[in-house]
Amino acid sequence: MFLSLSNIAKRFGTVTALNGVSLDIAEGEFVCFLGPSGCGKTTLLRVIGGLESADAGEVKLNGRSLTETPARLRNFGVVFQSYSLFPSMSVAKNVAYGLECAKWAKPDIHRRVAEMLALVHLGDQAEKYPHQLSGGQQQRVALARALAPNPTVLLLDEPLSALDAKVREDLRAEIKDLQSALGVTTVMVTHDQHEAMEIADRIVVMNGGVIEQIGGAVDLYERPVNRFVAEFIGRMNLLSWPPVADRGTSSLRIGVRPEHIELVASGGDASNSVVGRIEKCVFLGSFTRVTLAVGNERLQLELRGRRTDLGPGGSLTVRIPPDAVHRIGDVTR
Amino acid sequence: MTVSHPRTVTQTARIDTDRLAVLGLTVAVALPLIVFVVLPLVGILNLSFVTEDGIGWGNFVRYFSSPKFTRVVVNSFTVTLTTTAITVVLAYAFAYAMHRTAMPGKRAFGMIVLLPLFAPSLVQALGILFMFGRNGVINRSFGLGIDIYGFWGIVISDVFYSFPHAYLILSAALALADARVYESAQMLGASAARVFRTITLPATRYGVMSATFVVFTIVITDFGNPMVIGGDFSVLATEIYNQVSGQSNFAMGAVIGVLLLIPAGLAVVIEKWIMRRHHASITDRSQPLRLMPDRRRDMAGLVYASVVCGMILLIVGVVFVASFVTLWPYNMHLSLRHYRFEVQNGLQPLWTSVWVSLAAGAIGVVVTVAGACVMRRLHGAAAQALYFLSILPAAVPGMVLGLGYIFAFNDPANPLEILYGTAVILAICNVYHYHAQGFLIATTGLNQISRVFDEASTSLGGSFFRTLRSVILPIIWPSIVSVGVFFFVRSMVTLSAVIFLVTPSTQLAAVSVLLLDDAGNQNQAAAFSVCIMLVVAMALALFHGLLRLSGAKRVSLFG
Repeated sequence: MFLSLSNIAKRFGTVTALNGVSLDIAEGEFVCFLGPSGCGKTTLLRVIGGLESADAGEVKLNGRSLTETPARLRNFGVVFQSYSLFPSMSVAKNVAYGLECAKWAKPDIHRRVAEMLALVHLGDQAEKYPHQLSGGQQQRVALARALAPNPTVLLLDEPLSALDAKVREDLRAEIKDLQSALGVTTVMVTHDQHEAMEIADRIVVMNGGVIEQIGGAVDLYERPVNRFVAEFIGRMNLLSWPPVADRGTSSLRIGVRPEHIELVASGGDASNSVVGRIEKCVFLGSFTRVTLAVGNERLQLELRGRRTDLGPGGSLTVRIPPDAVHRIGDVTR
Repeated sequence: MTVSHPRTVTQTARIDTDRLAVLGLTVAVALPLIVFVVLPLVGILNLSFVTEDGIGWGNFVRYFSSPKFTRVVVNSFTVTLTTTAITVVLAYAFAYAMHRTAMPGKRAFGMIVLLPLFAPSLVQALGILFMFGRNGVINRSFGLGIDIYGFWGIVISDVFYSFPHAYLILSAALALADARVYESAQMLGASAARVFRTITLPATRYGVMSATFVVFTIVITDFGNPMVIGGDFSVLATEIYNQVSGQSNFAMGAVIGVLLLIPAGLAVVIEKWIMRRHHASITDRSQPLRLMPDRRRDMAGLVYASVVCGMILLIVGVVFVASFVTLWPYNMHLSLRHYRFEVQNGLQPLWTSVWVSLAAGAIGVVVTVAGACVMRRLHGAAAQALYFLSILPAAVPGMVLGLGYIFAFNDPANPLEILYGTAVILAICNVYHYHAQGFLIATTGLNQISRVFDEASTSLGGSFFRTLRSVILPIIWPSIVSVGVFFFVRSMVTLSAVIFLVTPSTQLAAVSVLLLDDAGNQNQAAAFSVCIMLVVAMALALFHGLLRLSGAKRVSLFG
């Protein structure tokens, strides 16, 4: 395996940041670490980059341990959250920095800097200083700087989280294009599930210092292995089925995505349906989120478009299609 | 899209040269601290416990059995506690006027109040004597017969001497305030007095405690003012000098040194401890306080600040005028005769002072910035040990350090004895005397830089030294220059440590002022003081000009 992590553990005082994490990453792959804040994703990225040393476990590159290789000698490119460009250097000097450290020849550096800046569409900004650039431009320079010395692995530590929503989306696509064009193995940390789903070949969902599930966007969304993943990736209604169990019959714990719940038109298929009272109707642009009270449980459903016909207090019959049901095995998590 | 690959970096596990660099620099920083701070201290402790009957408390027992010496200890504490109480209260009021009233003229007041920092440490006593001394102009003109020499003379001089230090700390405490808390109190109907008692005072209590201990240390270790205005009223700092220089009783000097070291050291330790427990209650969500004009409050602030600044200016002004008259206060005709410096060595001590101060500035920058940089890469016990060593000099009174240098370096067994009696040791002594403050200025400057820059540089393959040279130093150079200016200014005006180390050929200007005053030549002492202040003023002007030219943001020098 190209990059392999085995049993990585790290504590900060009494806090366990990583609790035995193992993961294999293939060459050229784009992997996202996704999880809530404090789940250990950034620490794991920093351990890979050598910016943090693990208490136990090791990182291997092509089968060789990196434990004794300091960050400086790993040749891993890192892009930080924000404000990591050296303020006293021009854009060109920033991009040239890693090449100078690696003792490239002057003409090579010159050519490489021009090439990298063209790649991130900032060829005309070479002589500007970081404070003269927008946040999105700064992160593109940071990307060019990290990629310039041909890094073995590219590490991105929430590179987009400090940017405005619109810039974020543009740059997200740009990073993905650049990565597939260069074929550089990339690990990105993010807490934004949409970012991870759009950009990554594989997503590593983390929580409490351990990996909950690894898989593609479709895997995680359609086949979450436990409640944490089910609720963290998209929304998930969790309910007992049948909703009002008769005495003596057992009920099942199931999950169903809000957009999979269907309205039952009068005279339509009423199998697997329940009747609930509408508690809340929220218009959210492309869809309307309806909260339904069914017995003691709450169901959320997302209906396309704006629904003026529904309002709090009304009653609604909804159907849960059998193929949309997730059986949540691990209820405790 | 193709990307050229001119060369790839091999990433074999080489010997980590960065580790070696950090280790080397740590040793290079720690070793001189041990040689120039710890060894002299050990020398003092050694000598104070060595008696004819071996090692023991004999010297201390002998010391306290003499009522004369016991009185010196009592004198030191009464003077220090009185001065500290007065200074902290007055400085608090001044800082309050500066930050919590809308009085006009704050810029000017803020500059004037710092004036005593840039004058030789005995200028306060000198100025007061020109007015209220035996030959003071006010005493003479009105025949008041005030006897200022002694307790009250020292207290008044030291209040002015320590005032800017207290002001800087309290000013920092009062500058920060969360407007939301004050607005809430107002909306709940609290009176101004109640707001002060329940909000302002509690919010600034750490500043008050810090200022108290800092002023305590400054006053109990002050040597220049008690020397000039103390008369027969002896305090610990002057008694060390009398024992060593007057009677060549080094053992007794060492004993008094330890007696001075204990309270000064304790005060510094307590102050650091308090500040470590102090967590800022101001967050990034706090709203800055906006002051509504209030005629009565602003007027009171203006009057008070004017009186304080007026007195500070008066003391320095009197020294200035006295240096230009024929014979204060008998012949007030203007004259430049005191600037002819027809004394031994003439103006030479001033030039020696300038050279020593330039050297101290250069050495001070190198050692404190190197220390601050290496601290950034150290962790755990090593970091704590180096921090302790770097801060230790704050707890060592100048008189004790100077005396320790005699014991450590006037010793043929020490290879560094060749430094003894040279100007080099004066510069080194000044560097390590003020090492803690210089180190803290450098550290503060460095801490303003996010660690992300270090990590970005490291991940791009930048070594420790390259990161410093190409990334860190270009950002913090204004702080670095300010460290140099700090050491230069301190070296120009300090008296206490170097008083034991000067020789006739390495006489310093501040020492000359003391000797001229001691010889009854007050007017020339004044002229020498004015020269020192002019050099300092030029250095500061140069510094600010440099910053302005380079477009750097305002860098605060002291505080």
